[in-house]
Amino acid sequence: MSAPSESPSRRIAILGNPNAGKSTLFNRLTGLRQKVANYPGVTVEKKTGVCELPSGSRVELLDLPGSYSLRPGSPDEVIVRDVLLGLKPDTPPPDLVVIVVDATHLDRNLYLALQVIEVGRPVLLALNMMDAAAALGIRIDERALETQLGVPVVGISAARGDGIGNLRRLMEREIEPSNAHFRKLPPHLEKAVHKLEGHLPRHPGLPERGRDDFAMALLLDDGEDDVLARSASPETHDTVRELRRELARTVPDWQTRDVQGRYGTIDGIVARALLAPGDRRDIVRDRIDRVLTHRVLGPAIFILLMGAIFQSVFAWARPVMDVIAVGVSSFSQLVAGVLPEGPLRSLLVDGVIAGVGATISFLPQIAILFFFLSALEDTGYMARAAFIMDRMMGGIGLSGRAFVPLLSSFACAIPGIMATRTIDNRRDRLTTIMVAPFMSCSARLPVYALLIGAFVPNRWIGFITLPGLTLFSMYILGILAAVVVAFVLKRTALKGGKPLYLMELPPYRIPSWHSIFLTVRDRCLLFLQKAGTVILAVSVVLWFLASYPRGGPQEVEMRASIARAQKAGNAAQAETLQKQLAGVALSHSFAGQAGRLIEPAIAPLGFDWRIGIALITSFAAREVMVSTMATVFNLGDAHQGFHSLPETLRTARDPATGALCYTPLTGISLMVFFVLACQCMSTVAVVRRETNSWRWPIFMVLMMNALAWVTSLAVFQGGRMLGLG
Amino acid sequence: MTRDPKASHSADLPLDRIAPGGISVIRQLNGAPSIVRRIMELGLVPGTRVEVIRLAPLGDPVELRVRDVHLSIRRSEAAHILVRPV
Repeated sequence: MSAPSESPSRRIAILGNPNAGKSTLFNRLTGLRQKVANYPGVTVEKKTGVCELPSGSRVELLDLPGSYSLRPGSPDEVIVRDVLLGLKPDTPPPDLVVIVVDATHLDRNLYLALQVIEVGRPVLLALNMMDAAAALGIRIDERALETQLGVPVVGISAARGDGIGNLRRLMEREIEPSNAHFRKLPPHLEKAVHKLEGHLPRHPGLPERGRDDFAMALLLDDGEDDVLARSASPETHDTVRELRRELARTVPDWQTRDVQGRYGTIDGIVARALLAPGDRRDIVRDRIDRVLTHRVLGPAIFILLMGAIFQSVFAWARPVMDVIAVGVSSFSQLVAGVLPEGPLRSLLVDGVIAGVGATISFLPQIAILFFFLSALEDTGYMARAAFIMDRMMGGIGLSGRAFVPLLSSFACAIPGIMATRTIDNRRDRLTTIMVAPFMSCSARLPVYALLIGAFVPNRWIGFITLPGLTLFSMYILGILAAVVVAFVLKRTALKGGKPLYLMELPPYRIPSWHSIFLTVRDRCLLFLQKAGTVILAVSVVLWFLASYPRGGPQEVEMRASIARAQKAGNAAQAETLQKQLAGVALSHSFAGQAGRLIEPAIAPLGFDWRIGIALITSFAAREVMVSTMATVFNLGDAHQGFHSLPETLRTARDPATGALCYTPLTGISLMVFFVLACQCMSTVAVVRRETNSWRWPIFMVLMMNALAWVTSLAVFQGGRMLGLG
Repeated sequence: MTRDPKASHSADLPLDRIAPGGISVIRQLNGAPSIVRRIMELGLVPGTRVEVIRLAPLGDPVELRVRDVHLSIRRSEAAHILVRPV
């Protein structure tokens, strides 16, 4: 056996149709030795792992995204094509390609397989789900298939582990690059492809035989394929345009002719290799679908399931988050006890530890949500959910797959935004990401609770109390904002050809704990690595803004008074002064200055500089607003101050005029602001990660805050005109 | 893109007009070439049998069975697939 530190020299890629059992095979071959990252510049996941072969040598295994065709229809499929054709500089082409083919759907799976074989790399075909095929009475002559395709074929069942030993042995063998050719093109098209081939630059990674694929892809490109367009010279593009014009005249259906021809070839292969077609009717599936997609039962079950998931993210995560909060705060106290008071202690406790605590407090919600989502995805239910919801979501221009991420965002937008990965279409996905933070998340609840407690009288209105009605209205307002913004975005910035909705409804399967565990683990790790660093950095910046500059004359004097009070043994007075000191320090800090600076901008909404400070500090997390208000009003931190805070806000008076600082209208205006504004650095960080650019998070912050400002202005000024001020 | 209009026949229907349970054979596909190509790549080439399984609870999309694979497609897109009932 080679030393574990030795990096694997051979690279093997696994590819296949979605639902062909590719990931199950990948997990089976790598165990836990796998890691997930992103392909640079895109949000497609790159899963790699280490696989040990019978001789003890190790190879690097690359799990390529599920794909229907090398002529890409989604970002996932672009990656597969680029890796295979050697167009990705960061991912060297594989030394061997293992094509996973679902034996129960041989013809459809062979479409991709034939394309891959034609590229001319060493290829191995793993005929998966042989157990399921046998159960259906399907019999396949593996040797005949081998002869027909010209590549080694091995029957396996990735789920049960059958045939994996054979596969490992074959993976070790030196396999000749395949030279089979199945494509039959009309002569004019063949000539055009050949002509274009001559214009193509030589790529070191592109096999000689893959060149005509490249040429064909260039001909078919409708302008969506950046990688392809960039890799060809302007002269080549001229040739492409010329050839297209010519083809349009000579072969009217040239853009689809090869597809039909290929299925013809497949029918011939299947006729020779398929000994018995079996009884294909999946009765269990029919029975389950009759219930799960039933006109009445289907939506009812869907709503029930989603409600259960939402409730568990909301409720089950809470105790774990509380434990984390207690752990973080006791760790803070520990550090505070060890270090002398000063800037370093403050930085560590209020900046770094608070930032790390904020990051890990999201993990329970992420883990719970992705546990359910990956379990439901693996059973095949999520495709049915999208089938049920597509019509409704289509009304605002989103796909059925957008429903689950949006629902999850009521608990927290972070896992919700991470869950948008199942949406194929880029524009649909971006729209969903942009509107997800409008859903009132659990971090807004403390803010709503504070403001409702302070300003909304507890009166019954019919069957609901006024506070309950207010809270409900805030949730509805968020949903309305999401609908309007999605509607506008789909018609402006994210306008584009209506994407084709063509989704497979896979057979029902029992999910594997192992794969669910891996999904949950990967989600959590990716969040910690990518979003965590940004959250930590912003926490430190916010800490700095709220702590400096320090030591103003008033502060020095107050510290002296505190020392005097302590010396005199007047603990109560010292404590009161201490609370006042915190308030004075905060209002003199950069954050306090910024609060005053933005006061003219937020005064028309009914907010003063103290709320201004809270708006700034709540960027760390919305609930920080509550503790900031407590500090500003000299109540000490949130734990002690919370109970008296609503009363304090309600009765606070301007010392100069004696008028009330805040009216109920201020409270409503502020709640509306919190519904709509983007005040969550973690959301910004996760959007940055999921869109792989700063453009979208910046747009989101500007758009949401502008909307919040305008709406709060309308509420406050409109309310005043109606005499509610 | 219309593929050879002569092949179209009065007995051909758009796929969205076939009721659940109905089996038909694909005759031709119309529409933008890139979309037609995608639909065909998933196995819906002329000459293939298609069974309409059911409609979604809200009446759209529609579930199809093609080459033993179940696919769902919006009715607006199914309208571009011309079939002949068998």
